Amino acid sequence: MKISEGDVEYVAKLAMLEVADDEKKELAEQLSRIVEYVEKLNELDLTDVEPTAQVVTSVKHAVRDDRVAPRTGSGDAARTVKLFKVPKVITER
Amino acid sequence: MNLKNITADKLVALYKNRDLTVTEVITNVYDEIERTDKDVRAFISLSRDRALEEARRLDTRIAAGERLEPLAGVPVAIKDNMTIRDTVTTCGSRMLENYAPPYTATAVERLRGAGAIVIGKTNCDEFAMGSSTENSAFFVTRNPHNLDRVPGGSSGGSAASVASGTSLIALGSDTGGSIRTPASFCGVVGVKPTYGRVSRYGLVAFASSLDQIGPFAKSVRECAQALEAISGFDHFDSTSADAATPEFARNLDQSIKGTRIGVPKEYFIAGLDPEVKAKIEAGMKIYQGLGCELREISLPHTEYAIATYYLIATAEASSNLARYDGVRYGLRAGGNASLQEMYRRTRHEGFGKEVKRRILLGTYALSAGYYDAYYLKALKVRTLLLRDFQKAFEQVDVILTPTSPTVAFKIGEKTGDPLSMYLSDIFTITLNLAGLPGISIPCGKNSENMPIGMQLTTNHFQEALLLSVAHHFEKAGGFAV
Repeated sequence: MKISEGDVEYVAKLAMLEVADDEKKELAEQLSRIVEYVEKLNELDLTDVEPTAQVVTSVKHAVRDDRVAPRTGSGDAARTVKLFKVPKVITER
Repeated sequence: MNLKNITADKLVALYKNRDLTVTEVITNVYDEIERTDKDVRAFISLSRDRALEEARRLDTRIAAGERLEPLAGVPVAIKDNMTIRDTVTTCGSRMLENYAPPYTATAVERLRGAGAIVIGKTNCDEFAMGSSTENSAFFVTRNPHNLDRVPGGSSGGSAASVASGTSLIALGSDTGGSIRTPASFCGVVGVKPTYGRVSRYGLVAFASSLDQIGPFAKSVRECAQALEAISGFDHFDSTSADAATPEFARNLDQSIKGTRIGVPKEYFIAGLDPEVKAKIEAGMKIYQGLGCELREISLPHTEYAIATYYLIATAEASSNLARYDGVRYGLRAGGNASLQEMYRRTRHEGFGKEVKRRILLGTYALSAGYYDAYYLKALKVRTLLLRDFQKAFEQVDVILTPTSPTVAFKIGEKTGDPLSMYLSDIFTITLNLAGLPGISIPCGKNSENMPIGMQLTTNHFQEALLLSVAHHFEKAGGFAV
């Protein structure tokens, strides 16, 4: 499938990225080539194949007891810094 | 003092004999960095004060006759995508240029616990996205064997440092070949452990189901020692495996006679450099001479691996990199009309071209209407790739392939064509998709004197066998330091 400059614009918006006008054309071409390449996967019959999101092999899920324990770092930040200044995230309508 | 002709175990023995002090070795390492690293540019930052302080403390302990840790006083380098408390961790990105994390990665903590001294942090492709270290936002690292060529990536700085003798051991991370490719290009040993073997806590996330930390060194033995030090369960990583850590270094000399080595026919493809092929075939003969049994095997879905990888890795990356929002990590674009604009402008200023390209591709693959067609499909093909390996490991113990289809390419050769750069990862990425351990070991040089790497793979958690098979090759092939 061909990726148009409009597609690049749309996906950039979803990803919170700014794409300069002169970058759009190049990105559309490069992404088109990559997407055309990955469409190779359409050659395969995938009916009844389960997806693998994580190769889990003898993993003990780190479900720990709810105990209070020191965690590296976070305590220091709270000790040395009285407040964290963040940008304004609430706007009036 | 250049470290090219010495290994970690020999250095520790010299300390124990009082032939050398740690302080003089560490001082000499910094002199050597000053002398050679202006050309190679492996290091992004140095931690001289702390390293010398640690060296002095160690010398006092040695003078007092105290028992030493296995890697006591061994100079190590850390890829700059692993956190070290209060030390700037850039990940090769403008986004993290001033980020000093409040905690240290478990792997680094454990390497230090084994006595190693961190001398500095090494250059890498931005957020570990790349195969050449040309995507670093700061500068290009060069191959110590030929300064016009890339060191491979994304852990290029770590590999180049070991190869140029400015560290004995270095840590890298491998999401699609980022340890093994630079090891191959720089003529050193590089290990990508089984997924879950080494904690990812403190490793800046690229693709969380694929990322894994591992060591570089000039010898298999040093890699075994380093892997032993950094492995093991960690509460801070929810995917950490609860697997015991074998004594890798002690088991290296176990007999490998009768080991079944599989050679997948799909890896001997068009595009495989004839000189690389010849050295790999010579390597197979060495294994026959060692009493191993070679068998042709098939991994039929290999040709779909790159497409699968670049959908899964970019999808995970687009999600992981959403955290760089201009609020938490230092960089924030100023003068914005709205919060949304601040996000977009910050991410525009902070991310380089390749990172943006991958975020866009990943977002596209996950977006409404395309999720099933791209991302979900890739996850299903991942199952097929895993099954290929499971079937192969019913017939063989080890799989032998080239690490890369070519030797190190020239700087600038592939930067204009991202797809051709992606295709160079063909032999390494399947292991990440299947979560398998792999090693790249030197197996000779081509007619231009550039190193060639051979990749070995075993089943999950079989690193003891993997390292031992690699160690025997190193000895028999005359590649030992």
